[in-house]
Amino acid sequence: MTERLKITRAAELETLPVFRDFIEQACERAGIDPETRFALKLAVDEACTNVITHGYANMDPGSMILELKLDPQQVVITLTDFGHPFEPSEAPMPDLAAALEDRPTGGLGLYFIYSTMDEVDYQTSEDGNRLILTKRLPAQT
Amino acid sequence: MFRNLQLKKAPHKVAPDPGQLSLQRLIGDAALPISLHAINQLPRNIHQRLYRLLIPPGLLTRFDINAITWKGPDGDRHVELTAEAGTGTVRISAKHAADAPDPFLRLELADNSFNGIDLGLLVVGDPNGPRFQTDVDEAGRDTHFGTARRNLAEEERAMRAGLAPGQIRAGLKASSMIFHQLDIFLAFLSHQSIFLEPLTYASAWIFERRGFAYVRGHKLMDTIHHEFQPGGRLHQALDGNSPFRQPDQWRTVRGRAWAIQDGLLAALDMKWDGLRMVKQVGRQAGVETFPGAIY
Repeated sequence: MTERLKITRAAELETLPVFRDFIEQACERAGIDPETRFALKLAVDEACTNVITHGYANMDPGSMILELKLDPQQVVITLTDFGHPFEPSEAPMPDLAAALEDRPTGGLGLYFIYSTMDEVDYQTSEDGNRLILTKRLPAQT
Repeated sequence: MFRNLQLKKAPHKVAPDPGQLSLQRLIGDAALPISLHAINQLPRNIHQRLYRLLIPPGLLTRFDINAITWKGPDGDRHVELTAEAGTGTVRISAKHAADAPDPFLRLELADNSFNGIDLGLLVVGDPNGPRFQTDVDEAGRDTHFGTARRNLAEEERAMRAGLAPGQIRAGLKASSMIFHQLDIFLAFLSHQSIFLEPLTYASAWIFERRGFAYVRGHKLMDTIHHEFQPGGRLHQALDGNSPFRQPDQWRTVRGRAWAIQDGLLAALDMKWDGLRMVKQVGRQAGVETFPGAIY
């Protein structure tokens, strides 16, 4: 059985704990393990931070819509915003082998997203930007 | 009720103009958005057939207007359509009687510079209800919905009668019907969304309920709600010094809207400006910046 949930808030940093709580509660109710819940919250945190700091830069922030689709096989999270579009695949991956002093500040957000999610898809069109994160769940025994 | 006050009459296109595409190609690719410009290029007698989709039939029949011919019982045409070739704008107005002074429906859509569609104007008013002259000042000049000038005496009368800023008559409680119809029209044209700029706090709140989210201004709406709470700066600014700033007005959408119309946001060094909203076809964004609001 699939459950769909949605929450919409302004794209500002104060929204991050609201979204984290929303994911935590929904996933806990659905019986999703703590490790997966943590990964989902981390990925959404990083994605939202990107939207807030880059997507809505220099403008009165608009909305971020977080949608959760929970089914026994996977969790699909869709984050929609209406700010400046961003292309995750064009952003460089951090060089984790480089010495700490040689690494640029930041840049780990996308790494966290890609390394914790099974699928990452980003679509931008006239009606907004949509980041779709898929996390497959371990098979129930 | 709202108006896009900065509506571009001839938007600069940043993407290929679908208006330059042939109708055959537009019909051939069902996913390709059709601009209003492209429709307006079609022969004139097709306009009514296509733009008929914009008006809920039930709204017309409420006034005994035939939803197909747009004629009333008197045989006169009650709906006026303006969709000039070479433009990306369509205007529709409908009157309950041919000689009525005001339309009960005014609707204006325009192509925007991102190949989307803006809802530039939507006014729905009960033609049988009392009229308030909030649209003209004492000298008879257009107030542009109270944004350029104000008719304070009429605004106060309108407020006491339960109207929101910008209204000249009470509404028809038809916005749900109209936005449902707009969804159908947009889907028909293969557009995924529609944009607008809310004229007032009350209209922004209504559009939230109709499924709109904010492209800009969500944080402003949150700030307004926060500052209207007891102890907040907007709450404190409701000092009773004018009819539009009475202490209890923070409790309702209309009360807040009239206070903001009266310039209350100056207490935050802000003004009602720059908000932009978007509705995705078939979707409800679920925005609620005034939880548990009383209209």
